[in-house]
Amino acid sequence: MATVRQLLAPEEAQFLATAFPQFVKNNGTNFPVSGLAYDATTDEAAFWKLKAINYGSGNLTLTIFWYADTASSANVVWEAQIAAITPDTDTQDVETDGLATLNFVQDTHLGTTGQRVHTCAITISNLDSIAANDLVFLRIARDANGTSATDDMAGDAILLLAELSYSDT
Amino acid sequence: MAVLSDSERAVATAEFIRDNRSTFAAVTKGDIRAALNALDDFLDTNATTINNAIPQPARGQLTQQQKARLLVFVVQQRYLNS
Repeated sequence: MATVRQLLAPEEAQFLATAFPQFVKNNGTNFPVSGLAYDATTDEAAFWKLKAINYGSGNLTLTIFWYADTASSANVVWEAQIAAITPDTDTQDVETDGLATLNFVQDTHLGTTGQRVHTCAITISNLDSIAANDLVFLRIARDANGTSATDDMAGDAILLLAELSYSDT
Repeated sequence: MAVLSDSERAVATAEFIRDNRSTFAAVTKGDIRAALNALDDFLDTNATTINNAIPQPARGQLTQQQKARLLVFVVQQRYLNS
């Protein structure tokens, strides 16, 4: 039994025509810091496409690495949802397929330093009948208007990296 | 002129947060909205006082928009250009 881990970089994200986070590259003192800047007041979403390599069973865990652009307190709410398609089996039109119900996590800024890196995890339990080696579309959004939980952090939340993990048995 | 509507205040709050490039420290979105509401209420309550502070003939001959822009310029010069 092992855990399969897939890394999702901001550079690989795709977007719909509206309501998407801006790709940003901030030139740090010693290295560039790239990410997706999710707005504080408008729900925005980014999408990744991946293969569920060796998926075995159970929930998916989405770990998000993020930092606050201008805030140093309060809460941010991240949402995730997937659509899973089994090639040659599912007859659903890929361009009109729907996403499973979202899961979310509320993470609290730990203070002290505004732009410190935080991590949090979303347990994706709405699996859309995912099976090994399915084609998976993943949506990661910020619940800026606080539908799922209170998101009161002012300023952008910048997603640095995400990791999707699951069991291979 | 009445205070801004709820939706106008929401839009203004969002624009302010979006345009801001300096730290918000421990201030939340709700705190910023409360501050915006309070300033809007203050301007509504004190609009006549502010208008009366403008000497004649400017008070009587400038339009409401011109006097509003003049107020913006003064605030900008005092607090934003330093």
